Amino acid sequence: MLKISGGTIYDPANGIDGKVGDLWISEGRFIEAPTDRATRPTQTIDATGMVVMPGGIDMHCHIAGPKVNVARKMRPEEKRADTKIHRTATTHSGTMGSAPSTFATGYTYAGLGYTTAFDAAIPPLDARHVHEEFEDTPCLDKGFFVLVGNNHYAMQSIHDGEPDRLDAFLAWLLGAAKGYAPKLVNPGGVEVWKQQQGGNVSGLDTEVDHFSITPRQIIRGIAAAGNRLGLPHPVHIHCNNLGMPGNWETTLETMKALEGNRGHLTHIQFHSYGGGEGDENTFNSKVAPLADYVNGHDNLTIDVGQVMFGETTSMTGDGPLGYFLANVYGSKWFSGDTEMEAGCGIAPIKYRNKSLVHSLQWGIGLDWYLMVNDPWKVVMSTDHPNGASFRAYPKIVRMLMDRTFRNDMLKECHPAVRSRCHFPDIDREYSLGEIAIITRAGPARILGLTNKGHLGVGADADVTIYVPHENKETMFELPRYVIKQGEVVVEDTELRATPSGSTLHVEPEYDPERESDIAEWFEKFYSIRFRNYPVGNGYLEAPQKIDCRPNNRHSN
Amino acid sequence: MALTLTYTGQTAIPVEVEGLLPAALCDTSVKEIELFEIFHGNRKSPLGEFFRVSGSPDDGEVIFDGDLSGVHWIGAGMDSGTIRVVGDAGRHIGSQMTGGEIYVEGNAGDWVGGEMHGGFIHIKGSAGHLIGAAYRGSARGMTAGTILIDEDVGNEIGHSMRRGMLAVGGHCGDMVGFNMIAGNIFVFGNSGIRPGAAMRRGTIGLFGHDPPSLLPTFCRATTFDPLYLQIALRKLRLRGFSVDTEFLTRSYDLYHGDLIEGGRGEIIVRSRDC
Repeated sequence: MLKISGGTIYDPANGIDGKVGDLWISEGRFIEAPTDRATRPTQTIDATGMVVMPGGIDMHCHIAGPKVNVARKMRPEEKRADTKIHRTATTHSGTMGSAPSTFATGYTYAGLGYTTAFDAAIPPLDARHVHEEFEDTPCLDKGFFVLVGNNHYAMQSIHDGEPDRLDAFLAWLLGAAKGYAPKLVNPGGVEVWKQQQGGNVSGLDTEVDHFSITPRQIIRGIAAAGNRLGLPHPVHIHCNNLGMPGNWETTLETMKALEGNRGHLTHIQFHSYGGGEGDENTFNSKVAPLADYVNGHDNLTIDVGQVMFGETTSMTGDGPLGYFLANVYGSKWFSGDTEMEAGCGIAPIKYRNKSLVHSLQWGIGLDWYLMVNDPWKVVMSTDHPNGASFRAYPKIVRMLMDRTFRNDMLKECHPAVRSRCHFPDIDREYSLGEIAIITRAGPARILGLTNKGHLGVGADADVTIYVPHENKETMFELPRYVIKQGEVVVEDTELRATPSGSTLHVEPEYDPERESDIAEWFEKFYSIRFRNYPVGNGYLEAPQKIDCRPNNRHSN
Repeated sequence: MALTLTYTGQTAIPVEVEGLLPAALCDTSVKEIELFEIFHGNRKSPLGEFFRVSGSPDDGEVIFDGDLSGVHWIGAGMDSGTIRVVGDAGRHIGSQMTGGEIYVEGNAGDWVGGEMHGGFIHIKGSAGHLIGAAYRGSARGMTAGTILIDEDVGNEIGHSMRRGMLAVGGHCGDMVGFNMIAGNIFVFGNSGIRPGAAMRRGTIGLFGHDPPSLLPTFCRATTFDPLYLQIALRKLRLRGFSVDTEFLTRSYDLYHGDLIEGGRGEIIVRSRDC
């Protein structure tokens, strides 16, 4: 039994905002304080004067799977220049850079107070590989989103107007991959890219080759299916036209295409640009109309995808985007084509504060944090490593909590940011409670994880304890203690233990009779046999199935 | 009196001496130097287990004595002082150095002066592959400094080289100056296939008796007697590199390429007319 005594607790899910109290933990979960005064904990952490929060949750990052491995191999120069993780009695050796090696990823997240992370773009064909990498990514509970926005069977079901067939396929696919949620990446656009040289869709109503459907139909269809299946996180959407001037209209249309269904729009910073096509001088923030729409619709949530200045690697299931970036920067490039399922693009990128475009991207991220009224609707992310490494999170916290700091950063940016973004005129500063929402409680709720993101009785005992500091970056980059399911992982800022963590996944129910149609299609087109496709439980590290609630619409 | 490190190691496992630099050893005692941690394979060991230490590091000169062909990263990251290797040296000697001088009496392994940013390296014997080259994944190889190799070298020397001088007295392998961005590479012996492939700018002099076939993306420009080449070669002589007088007076054929990368680089070979 572990007791955390006297800490200043921030537990927004339970309405606690900076109240001094004790927490009791037994068998990996929070318990009621013992009524018997004679009960003594086996270990006590004196958190007097410290800030206690639930463990951090990164709901959108890229930390495992083939695309991350390509990035690791593509950037040896970045790894050589970065810190090395040396082998100790507790840790494996590892490398950093924008795509750290597996063990190093787990250690570094834990060192920042994060205890749960979701990889945001996995082709289900590669799910087995991902689960195996998860096994080597310690200190975190993990899950992943399954790419379906360009899946041939899904698109054909939508074209044929068979929602039941789509539901069954989605349920089967999530269960086979042991994934957590359906992910749309440039729905339809990646398929066009794979069919035509330099191809893509231009908007929600462009027809997708061979399938005679539009991105709007894909978004509408998958979102409805995810909600009908009662998935804890019904749909996770990377909109079309990422990074393109004027793409805000596509993003607004995507929000509308959900038709009231619950949906999460990810790295929305990259999708909130005004301006004419290819004209840098008209590039500007269109967060205001989009944030207005989010503020007025409870079915919508977003994560930001904050850009931070420096070198990183873009890795995306959005194949045409990878091609675009590699051409813009003249950099190395990898393009992947995953059979019937997805695409992939990887290219190094460097964000410069003197660049108009990069500075605006940085500022547009801040616009989002500061213009969504309800912090429960916005989640902190960098789309690691696309906008920046997750290692930038403490600095982002400081930008949100200290307007002087962000204004000082603004002075170093391209001067046009001041007039083309909204945040320079916004004085809002986040409180510690609000930071706890956008980094823990909020993502847990959006992901439908009832046992995470809070410190109530029965919840997973994932806790981060910080030493208050005037400089919030200092405070958040070096937590004093991190506890993962009751085990002290970080003690006095040192990594003490490396528990493996659980794999969070769903297995929605579906009509088994539908499987024969899927199998017939599968055997016709895939390079592997149908029976070899599903990932067995043996590949999962401490599997934890999260319940679905069919036809029971969740609310935020 | 220079600091002398006499190699006594009897191991087939690589020994790595990264950080053992003249500037870092100044003001340290022999005892401290013997305790300096080096790598033996993947384990750290005190330097005293592999070297006998004598002399003083005060004058900024370190002498490595013995067969150090299994000792790697000598002088890596060096910024000042002098290193002399009396014998052979292993891989990565002078890697990423920014200043100072390194002299090797024998042969050296691969990656001599890899991504070097300044300073001077002279190998009296032969050397391996990828001299002055970019490490895998990097955009640029050596960006400044001078590397002189008296005898033969391997493949891909000057890979992605950005600036500086690389001179080879003997023959070189394939792909000299591959992806070269700028700088000078002079090879006085024969060279292997595909010299200058994907070079953007810079000059490659291939002065051997049997000039290689150039890629079809190189086009002949002229025959000339370049004054700048005479100046560069005289400068090499001043640094102790042997250059036959013939090279100062003869004519050369000039080729431009690689045309798939803009064609601003040049390859100079012995004139066919001479």
